[in-house]
Amino acid sequence: MNEPVVWLDEVVPETANRVVGAKMGRLSELSSTGLRVPRGFSVTVDAYRRHCADTGLDALIEDRLGPLTDTHDRAQVQAASLEIQAAFEATEPGAELALAIVEAYDELAYRCLEVHVLVAVRSSATGEDGDQASFAGIFDTYLGVSGHDGLLRAVRGCWASLFTPRALSYRVDHGISHREMPMAVGVIELIPARASGVAFSIHPVSGKRDRVVIEGSWGWGEAIVQGRVSPDHVEVGKSDGRVLRYDVADKKVVSAFDYQAGAVVETDMPRRWGRERVLDDDQIRAITAGVTAVESKYGVPVDVEWVIDRGYRPGDAVFIVQARPETVHGTPANGVDAAIDPASATSGAGGWDPATYAARHAFGGLP
Amino acid sequence: MGTIVPLEEFLADEGYPGAPLAEQQSPWRVEAAGAFRPEDASRFWFLDFHWPRGLTPLGELWNEDGYSWGTQTAAESLPLPRGRGVAVRTAGTHTYAAEIVVRSAAEVADRAGRMSQALPRFLRDFPQIWASRQREIEEDWEELRSVDLSRSSRKEFSHHLVRARRHHKRAFEIHFQLMYPLLANYIAFRGLCTELDIDPGLIGHFLQGYDTKILETDRELWRLTADARAAGLGSLFARTEPERLMEAIAAEGERAAGWRSRFEKFLDIYGWRTEGISDVALASWSEDPISPLGTIKTFLQGNSDHDFEAAHRSAVEEREAAVDAARSTLTLEEQRSFDAALKSSRTANYAWWNEEHDFYIDLRAMLPLRRAALAAAGHLGADRPDDTLFLFWPELTAVVAGERQLAELTGLIEDRRQYYAHWKERRASMPKVLGTVPDAVSDPILIEVFGLNKHFLEAVAAGRPPEGDVKLSGIPASEGACSGRARVLADADNLHRIEAGEVLVCESISPNWTPAFAKIAGCVCDAGGMLSHAAIVGREYGVPTVTAVGLATSTIRDGDEVHVDGTTGTVTVIRTAPDPAAAAQP
Repeated sequence: MNEPVVWLDEVVPETANRVVGAKMGRLSELSSTGLRVPRGFSVTVDAYRRHCADTGLDALIEDRLGPLTDTHDRAQVQAASLEIQAAFEATEPGAELALAIVEAYDELAYRCLEVHVLVAVRSSATGEDGDQASFAGIFDTYLGVSGHDGLLRAVRGCWASLFTPRALSYRVDHGISHREMPMAVGVIELIPARASGVAFSIHPVSGKRDRVVIEGSWGWGEAIVQGRVSPDHVEVGKSDGRVLRYDVADKKVVSAFDYQAGAVVETDMPRRWGRERVLDDDQIRAITAGVTAVESKYGVPVDVEWVIDRGYRPGDAVFIVQARPETVHGTPANGVDAAIDPASATSGAGGWDPATYAARHAFGGLP
Repeated sequence: MGTIVPLEEFLADEGYPGAPLAEQQSPWRVEAAGAFRPEDASRFWFLDFHWPRGLTPLGELWNEDGYSWGTQTAAESLPLPRGRGVAVRTAGTHTYAAEIVVRSAAEVADRAGRMSQALPRFLRDFPQIWASRQREIEEDWEELRSVDLSRSSRKEFSHHLVRARRHHKRAFEIHFQLMYPLLANYIAFRGLCTELDIDPGLIGHFLQGYDTKILETDRELWRLTADARAAGLGSLFARTEPERLMEAIAAEGERAAGWRSRFEKFLDIYGWRTEGISDVALASWSEDPISPLGTIKTFLQGNSDHDFEAAHRSAVEEREAAVDAARSTLTLEEQRSFDAALKSSRTANYAWWNEEHDFYIDLRAMLPLRRAALAAAGHLGADRPDDTLFLFWPELTAVVAGERQLAELTGLIEDRRQYYAHWKERRASMPKVLGTVPDAVSDPILIEVFGLNKHFLEAVAAGRPPEGDVKLSGIPASEGACSGRARVLADADNLHRIEAGEVLVCESISPNWTPAFAKIAGCVCDAGGMLSHAAIVGREYGVPTVTAVGLATSTIRDGDEVHVDGTTGTVTVIRTAPDPAAAAQP
């Protein structure tokens, strides 16, 4: 299969990671299970490979990276990175690939019934934030791109982000060739976000699995994902969907669409929005339903990025724009420690084990 | 290694003049009570706030039978994993205590295993266990009361004396055997709540609002107040000092006869309590009703009655609201754990029992011995009716048995009275802690009941309040804030003088202080944790209370204007009394 472009709803799950990268692969899987995900397509790994081979970028990369052995030499890394990234940004894709990409954009615009449809252009590296978790979030994302030129520029930018100094150093240090870590680029409709955030099907700090934890704010989710804003914090009981707590945060910045710049930018949160509660009970229900559905699909605790679109009506589903296994507590090795799981306070049928708790909290604990 | 507070000055003291060797026949189990020894400097001792006057020679029985035997027997029989109970030392007439630590890790593990077995069964059966212990105490008490000592032979009297001592010893055996596991469960429950992220401010409310004998007594006092008002005795109470009230009421004759008989009935049921815990030197209300009369006198000064029904209803409502608020933040799975733990904690309710048992144990277990000792003084023609309280147990039994003459001890008794008075005078300046002050103690009983938390330890180790504005802090034991005039009390002797709206400042309160809570605006204690009497009673009465302040009685002066914030645990002196001498107690 050598298609330069693959639609999200056409990806074959078995080859998804290899063809469209981890991020877009999972989005495809979710779309096939009936979750509400944005429409879109991927510029495949194969397209990237051919672009590098056909335009001479491969040769340039090898030429520049060959002598690079000591990543402690920051200046050297920086210089190589700058040169390669500049080359990526300056190198237009071949006519065939460019045509495939813009035709797909036009098709997406038609499907969305929006001539200059706004899209999110996201890097989707193979293996990203799965087994190579340390790469999570370091590649570029462009929100609010529209039109052919803008799209092609964003795609080149995503490719170039494979060669940031940090990514370069990592690969050199681990003896990974850039050929072993190619990248797909996802192009998906930009959901007009009323509110966005993340949700965990496990408490990300305590590891408690009996709850869903939601963090959210107004606008797009970038400010939250980047840790630039303290979001509202919500905890929901998984068994009965009851809201256990809702802490309204003082939200000082927001990712909003700047119509003049034509992009989602970070800006000051308007005063009167800052302390307003973002999510109502119905929206919390919808997010909880989304994240638990993703968890059932993968069979392990997950975290997702969700968006509530401007057209949301009570009873709707939220958009899931990203999903991944929860990496801290989600693996069996880091599974919930039974000893600190309050569920263990009950022995048998609803009993109370005072001795265990007395041992832990009273009389100076145990040796 | 923490600060060391030297105890040399107490090593030099030889104790009561002519004191017999303490260990002769003392019923201690792990470690006997006694005077400080040089090696005690390496341990951590705290001044026990329950006996602010010091103990008389006969009163020192408490140190053996109650404190040492009671705690050590209970700690060994549960057993407590890390502690063998309390070691007791005297500095002059004052009692210091320290934990007896189990050092071997293997032994701690073994004891923890045994406690795990014993604890759940105890908690499940607690209502029956307490009912049966209560009956045992009650039956023994009634029997002792019914003995007519004026007709007893010398032999019978001797026998009675021993039985009276045994009553006290057994009562405190029971006391600690119940207290340790109840407290363990309470702390376990609170630990669970902490793990469940339940707002700590709610936890104190979960177990409140259950009626106790102590509250029942307070209600009766208010009923007597209403009766006195109805009987037109208001002005009599208003113009008469508490000390002369009994006389004055008797002088009223017919007009006050009805009320007097009601008051006597009250005393017969509720009057068997002392103004302090387990101190043979203290009279019961029945013996000397000045305290209940003084309380009624102050109650009469306010024009409205304390609405116990309303207070109880609001305590219950607050409790249920706290439980609902906590449960709403829990997942279904957590609710199951919480509900089971709450049920156990209500079945075996430490907070409730901690008040309830005072009526049966703490406030009256010493009374049979006091009655016997005073009767002996009468029989033997003592110079003063309480001479026998200044005898040590072997001396008293010998005198009662006719083996020794009281007259040959008269000089010694006088010396001991002076010794007692001397040390009573010194009380205010006694170090709150002695020996090696740790940064923290691990035994939660010391933390919860005595309030020996980090802050307290720092404050007492430093020995002075923080620089600058006089702002003290402690444990936020009962929510709310208030301002008022400080009334600094060294002991309960002047408790009935406290006026409505004042802020009570003291070392700590005993259960018998509770009537005062119906009229004070706030309470500040040097000692006491979240489970001290002050904390529990403060919550029951809705009085803002801060405990474990460490330096309240040495920093705040009578008459100072203070602000008490029981929610944050701070006490601020807003304005100092203009002239301390003028503001001193009458």
